[in-house]
Amino acid sequence: MKEIILMAHVLFGVACLIASVWVFVDTLNLSEANQCRIRKMSRLAAAAMWLAFLVGGYWYVNFYKPDKAIILKGPWPFAHDFFMESKEHLVIMLLLLVTYLPIVTAGNLVANKDARRVVLWVAGLIVLLALIMEGNGAVIAMGVKAGLLAR
Amino acid sequence: MENTNLSKHTVSFGLSLVLASVINGLLVIAKESSPAVQAGMQKMTGHHWITHSIAIVVIFAVGGWLFGRANGGQGVQMSASRLLAILVRGVVISGLLIVGFYLIGD
Repeated sequence: MKEIILMAHVLFGVACLIASVWVFVDTLNLSEANQCRIRKMSRLAAAAMWLAFLVGGYWYVNFYKPDKAIILKGPWPFAHDFFMESKEHLVIMLLLLVTYLPIVTAGNLVANKDARRVVLWVAGLIVLLALIMEGNGAVIAMGVKAGLLAR
Repeated sequence: MENTNLSKHTVSFGLSLVLASVINGLLVIAKESSPAVQAGMQKMTGHHWITHSIAIVVIFAVGGWLFGRANGGQGVQMSASRLLAILVRGVVISGLLIVGFYLIGD
């Protein structure tokens, strides 16, 4: 069950990342035809991110402690000290950015160049932060693996 | 007052996002530097991170609502360039606060 929760966290995180890339690319190629899709994809990104956050948060609060002990006793203590500690707080910023995205895409993007610029910047920041989160998650998983192998 | 093409909510929640992000970074430093702050946050919900997350999301929601009520309900007026300058700098500085703290300060 613990593993399924963790994989669901990753799955929803990747879904958020893909939806945000979609919003970015569709906004670069904006027309009346894809404006509705941009709104739907920005809502999908927000929904996926909230699910990733809630599932990941549940796992972190309830199941992370044994993994943390393995990491700290292993050869990669920085996987917790830096990567997990920064991830658990940077992800809150990511959550806010993704929640903000549907607010920006709600307007008429075809007629409003300024709103388009804001969408591109926000979607770009989301993609960048989401990739950093994925990278941090990979280092944390490697920290556990290195800790187990060193036993 | 600057002319704006942005909606009231785009500006108000954009500013609120920056405010909440900066407070997020400062709260990390406060709770990691002060065991009393962390213990207080732990006591509120059972885990300091849950309290932290709820506080930041509430600040974002309330901040967006308050910025939207400025100027007699018209919201804060701002150009897209100015909003983006504040938003991008705010997010980058907040991220650096968190990363920098765990890299150097902790």
